[in-house]
Amino acid sequence: MFEYAPAVALLPFVSFLIALSVGSYMPKKGAFAGIAATGGSLLLSVWAFVTVSGGEVYNEPDLFTWVAAEELSLSFGILIDPLSAMMLIIVSLVAFLVHVFSLGYMNDEGETGLPRYYAELGLFTFSMLAFVYASNLLMAFMFFELVGLCSYLLIGFWFRTESAASAAKKAFLVTRFGDYFFLIGVIGVIATFGTAQFAGQESFPVLAEHALVDGETEAMTTFLGLGEQAWVTLLGMLVLGGVIGKSAQYPLHTWLPDAMEGPTTVSALIHAATMVAAGVYLVARMYGFYALSPTVLTFIAFVGGFTALFAATMGVIKDDIKRVLAYSTISQYGYMMLGLGAGGFVAGSFHLMNHAFFKALLFLGSGSVIVLMHHEQDMWEMGGLKDKAPATYYTFLAGSLALAGIIPFSGFWSKDEILFEALHYGLGNQPLLLGAYAMGLVAVFFTGFYTFRMVFLTFHGDPRSDTARDPHPVGWSVKVPLVVLGLLATFIGFVNMVPVADLLNMDIEFLHQWLDGPEETVTSVHHYEELVHDAAGFEAADIGPYLPGALSLGLALAGAGLAHMLYNVPDPEPHTEKLGNIRTLLKRNYYQDEYQVWIAEGLTLPVARAANKFDRTVVDGAVNGISRVSLDSGSRLKQVQTGVVTNYAALLTFGLVALLVVVGLYGGWF
Amino acid sequence: MAPPVEYYLLLSAAVFCIGLFGILTRRNALMFLMSVELMLNAANINFIAFSFQHGNLTGQVFSLFTMALAAAEVAVGIGIILVLYRNFQDVDVTKAATMRW
Repeated sequence: MFEYAPAVALLPFVSFLIALSVGSYMPKKGAFAGIAATGGSLLLSVWAFVTVSGGEVYNEPDLFTWVAAEELSLSFGILIDPLSAMMLIIVSLVAFLVHVFSLGYMNDEGETGLPRYYAELGLFTFSMLAFVYASNLLMAFMFFELVGLCSYLLIGFWFRTESAASAAKKAFLVTRFGDYFFLIGVIGVIATFGTAQFAGQESFPVLAEHALVDGETEAMTTFLGLGEQAWVTLLGMLVLGGVIGKSAQYPLHTWLPDAMEGPTTVSALIHAATMVAAGVYLVARMYGFYALSPTVLTFIAFVGGFTALFAATMGVIKDDIKRVLAYSTISQYGYMMLGLGAGGFVAGSFHLMNHAFFKALLFLGSGSVIVLMHHEQDMWEMGGLKDKAPATYYTFLAGSLALAGIIPFSGFWSKDEILFEALHYGLGNQPLLLGAYAMGLVAVFFTGFYTFRMVFLTFHGDPRSDTARDPHPVGWSVKVPLVVLGLLATFIGFVNMVPVADLLNMDIEFLHQWLDGPEETVTSVHHYEELVHDAAGFEAADIGPYLPGALSLGLALAGAGLAHMLYNVPDPEPHTEKLGNIRTLLKRNYYQDEYQVWIAEGLTLPVARAANKFDRTVVDGAVNGISRVSLDSGSRLKQVQTGVVTNYAALLTFGLVALLVVVGLYGGWF
Repeated sequence: MAPPVEYYLLLSAAVFCIGLFGILTRRNALMFLMSVELMLNAANINFIAFSFQHGNLTGQVFSLFTMALAAAEVAVGIGIILVLYRNFQDVDVTKAATMRW
C-alpha cells in the first residue's frame, strides 16, 4: 500500500491546482474537486491505518534527495507509524467534512471568490498532511511554514475588510516570531547530529539518547561550550518556540482570537486539525527528544497549564460565539501541552484526537448557528434556537459536553488522563508539575462555565431578536458533517478509558496499545515511558485514577451548574458585568495585545529606525560617496573636450613635445 | 655634387613647422587641409633624403604610399568640409563644436 502514500498529500494539492486554474468554470466553483480529493485522502489514510495495524511501519527517509553533500544530505521522506497514521485520518476526515460543510456555508450563502477559497483549502490540507507524515525535521519545518502561509491566506479571505486583513497579518507575524526560533533549532539539530530524521536507529532522538543515557558522546557535537544535557535542552527550547507560536500558547496566543475573522469553516479547520494542531503534533512527533530533558518537559507542562487557565478565564466573558470557541481552543491546546510535558504521551495525543473532533464539531455548529442567524455572531442576539434547529442543537450539545469534560463524552477521558498524569508525576518527584496540575484543574471549572454559558445563551431561553425568532434553515451539507462529528465526539473517548480499564481490570486501553505499535521501536509509547522515567527522571506516585477523575468531573459539573443557574432562564441577564474591573481586565485580554504592541512600538520600532538610519547614512553614504566622487571628477574632466579641432591639435602637439622632452631627459639626449 | 643631408632635414623641419603653425592658428578648414598636406610632405622630404643617403629605395616607396594616402585623405577631408559648409554655412572649424558633451 505504501507506494501510494505520497498520494495522501498530493490529492489535495491536485485539487488546489484544479480549483485555482479552472475552479470558476466548475459547478460549485471547485468544491467537488476538493471533496473528491480529501475523500480520496481519507480513504488512503484509512488504508494506511489498516496496513499499519497489520504490523507494518513505513519509514522511507529518502524519497527525494534535496541536497546531497558528502557530510550531510537533506531529503524528503515519509514516515507512517501509528501516531502519524492516526493523525492522517484525523486531518483528512476533518478536511473532508469541512469541504462538505462549505457547500452549505459558503456556496449557498452566495460568497464570491470561491475558487480561491477552495484552492486555499486544498493547499492547506496538502501542507498539513505532508507535515504529518514528514520523516525529518527540516521537511516538517517547510510544511509547517506552508501551513502558516495558508492560514494567513484563509484568515484574510475577506481581505477587503480591514479587520480581516490585519488579523491575517497578525497571525502570520506572531507565528513567524516563534518559527524563527524553530528554524534556528532545526539548523542546530542538523549541525549537532548530522541528521534530522524522526524515526529509525539513525534518527536524532536516538542519537541524543545514546549521548545522554549511554554516554556515547561522540554521537553529537555541542556548541557554545555547553554540556550534552544543556545543549539538548537548548535545542528542545528552540524548537518549542515554533510550537508555542503555532499552538497559540502563552505568550504567543494573541493571534488566534483575531483569526476568527476568517470564514467559520476555516476556523474549524485551523483549530481542529491543521494549523494549531501542528504545534502539539510536532512535540508528540519528536517526543523521544523532549523526553530526554526534564527541564523542557516541565517547561512545556507549565506553559500548557498556565495557558489552559489563562485562556479559560478570558473565554468566560466573551459575547461572540466564535471568540468563546477561540479561547477554548487556546485553553484545550494548553491541556495537550500539559499532558505531553507531564510525561503523558498517550494522554496528550488522545486529547489531540478528541479535541480535533469536538472542536471541529463546535466550530461547524457555530457556523450553522451563524447561518441560522443571518451572520449574527453576538450570543445576546440569539436564544431559543433549541427548538428551531434540533440537529444543530443536539450535535452542538454533544461537542459542548465533550469540551467541558463531562462523562462519558470524549473530552472527559482525555482531560482526566492528562490531569492524572500531571498529578501522579507531580506527587512523585516533580513538585513543579503540581503547580501546572493545579492550574489545569481550576481551568476545568472555567471551561465548564463558559461552555455552558455559550450553550444556554445560544440555544435556551427566549429568542432575543427577530432573526432568532425566525432563523434561516440549513441544508443537508451542514447537517451531515455535524452528525458525523457529533457521533465521533460522543464515542471516540471510549478507545482509551483508563479509569474503566483500571476498575474492570481489563485490557481496553486501545489507543495506548495502538501508539505502542506492533513491536517496540524508538517511537513507541513503551520506549517513551522508559525515557521519561530513566532519562528525565520522572517518578510516579502510586495513586488511583478515581479521586482525581471525580474531582475534575465535579469541577466541570460545578462550572456547568453555575452557568445553568445564571443563564438557563427565559431572559438571562449579562451577569458578567457585575465583575467590574475584572471584567474590563478580561475584556481587554489581560492587556496582552497592548503590551505586545508596546514592545513592537517602543522597542522594536526604534531599533528598526536606528538600523534604517545606519543603513541610509553609513552604508548607503559610503556607496553613494564613491559614485559621487567619480561623477564629479568626470564632469570636471569633460570640460577638456571643447569640440574645437584646434585645441585637440594643440594638445596633441604639446603632448608630443612634452613626451619628447621627458624621453630626452631620461634617455640622456642632452 | 649633391648637397649634404642636413640641408634636406632643415628644409623638412621648416615645412613641418609651417604646417604645424597653420593647424594651430588657422580657422579655415581649407587652410587646415593644406597645412596637413605640408606636414605630410615634410615627412616625404625626410624619406627621400634618407633614401638617397642610404642608397636604397625603401624610403622612396614609402613616400609614394604617403602620397597616395594624402590624396585619399584630401578626398575625405574635402567631403567633410562640404558637409561642414552645408550644416554651418561656413568652413570655420571652431564653430563645429556641437557634438561635445
